[in-house]
Amino acid sequence: MNTKPHTRGDAVVMTVALVLLATLYGLFWQSDGHGAEAVVLVEGKRWARLNLFQDQELRVPGPRGESVIRVQDGQVRFVASPCPTQQCVHQGWLSQGGEVAVCLPNRVSVQILASDPRFDTINF
Amino acid sequence: MGSRRSIQTTGDDHLIAAFAALAITVHIAESALPSPFPGVKPGLANVVTLLVMCRYGWRMAAWVSLLRVLLGSVLIGTFLSPAFFMSAAGALASILVLGVIYGTSQYLGGWAVGPLGLGIAAAMAHMSGQFWVAYTLFVPHAGLLTVYPVLMTLAAALGVVSGLLTRGVLARLNSTSTAS
Repeated sequence: MNTKPHTRGDAVVMTVALVLLATLYGLFWQSDGHGAEAVVLVEGKRWARLNLFQDQELRVPGPRGESVIRVQDGQVRFVASPCPTQQCVHQGWLSQGGEVAVCLPNRVSVQILASDPRFDTINF
Repeated sequence: MGSRRSIQTTGDDHLIAAFAALAITVHIAESALPSPFPGVKPGLANVVTLLVMCRYGWRMAAWVSLLRVLLGSVLIGTFLSPAFFMSAAGALASILVLGVIYGTSQYLGGWAVGPLGLGIAAAMAHMSGQFWVAYTLFVPHAGLLTVYPVLMTLAAALGVVSGLLTRGVLARLNSTSTAS
């Protein structure tokens, strides 16, 4: 083994290490904008990804009909649903990372995305 | 009476035992140091592994490293605890990476990696190994990934320290062995 002070191999290892570190910070330290985005799932599959600062109203087709989801001022909610209990609508506005509203009959859900969600799980 | 058979040991075995004992001593002394971050240690015991690898080859270094983790944990009392599995995974990862570097170094010529590079590679591999165990087995929460780059940065810095220490000790060992 080479025991001279700095070998070219050492320089290579250091360069690789620096690139690796930069990549890791890039991967795991992107600003998540604390609930700047939400994801809409229909029947367990991603249907749309929403920017919460772009106001809009979506008509999401589910097995029972259209669920209407509104995005406004960094929040999102169900405003109408073809389901009997309307629990998804009563869930109200969501704004915190990890918050979720689900319409089981129509199999539509919306969840705020965050790399550091405020809630790990939510029980009802 | 010939009924008791003794185990045949080689000179290599004795060297492994002696270096493992040294590594375990450092390992235990180090475990008494308080750490600002869980999972972050100076890695001084790894200096012994690096030294053995630079002087006697990878196979002996692997023995010393694995014996240290196993017996060190028995002596500290963390055997089969989460800390032990993290430590073992770290040691395995670091030994594997060192093995790859050692195995390829004969083809690299002037590009062979010295103690400094070995220290950095070993420390970062160790951290990755123990972080992987912590993340998959103990705390599978995405929030944990946020600290991974920080831990890797600390690992790289401490790898530089252990690499430089290894280089210093090697230089002294080589100068005394040529002087005498």
